[in-house]
Amino acid sequence: MKINILFFASLRELFNSDSMEVTKPENIMSVRELLDFYADNEKGPWLELSKRFSTIRVAVNHSIVDWDTLINEGDEIAFLPPITGG
Amino acid sequence: MVKIQKEDFSIEKMTTEIKALGSHIGAIVSFIGYVRDFDVSENKILLDMHLEHYPGMTEKVLNDIEKKAFSRWDLSAVTIVHRVGVLKSNDPIVAVIVASPHRNNAFDACRFIIDFLKTEAPFWKKESTDSGDYWVDDKKSDLKQKQSWDNQS
Repeated sequence: MKINILFFASLRELFNSDSMEVTKPENIMSVRELLDFYADNEKGPWLELSKRFSTIRVAVNHSIVDWDTLINEGDEIAFLPPITGG
Repeated sequence: MVKIQKEDFSIEKMTTEIKALGSHIGAIVSFIGYVRDFDVSENKILLDMHLEHYPGMTEKVLNDIEKKAFSRWDLSAVTIVHRVGVLKSNDPIVAVIVASPHRNNAFDACRFIIDFLKTEAPFWKKESTDSGDYWVDDKKSDLKQKQSWDNQS
């Protein structure tokens, strides 16, 4: 199952990339599980992102969602650092 | 109407366009947000500011906020304009213009829209200052303002 992950602002700088297309690991169902999986296995920026968890919001297909939201084929998952418009 | 743009905007032009929608409009309230040159709490002088957003989601969120305002108050028209890209001190960043038959609805809806925009619309500011570049952090006071509307509903 392919999914697209987007990074904005400080997180884009952290990952040195604005997006990545990945195949969802088997047994990973929710966005929280996805973040935990990459933090455990990939370390690096994923571990740092996971440390900032309390300040980060996640959007799936342009809507802010709860962390236990289930992932579906083709989803666009965006990690959003603190919002500061206006 | 929602617009995300790099260019400056004319509040006079947008107000005229909204008023032209009809003689039933008895009140227009507008809010304009500007770039400040100095952050007192951080003691830093601003050189410039880079504003980025999440294309697609930003428009969706702002349209949703607009819809909420229309369902809550008797409004005639709403225009929300937000700039992105590089901005300097004194540049206008955002405008919210609300037209209604009566002033109270226009005042309340204008404040509601900017309060929700501040906490829900995916924009990010990076400031270049005399003591370095940094991403602006969100403010608890903005969240409180937004939550005060939730408590009223």
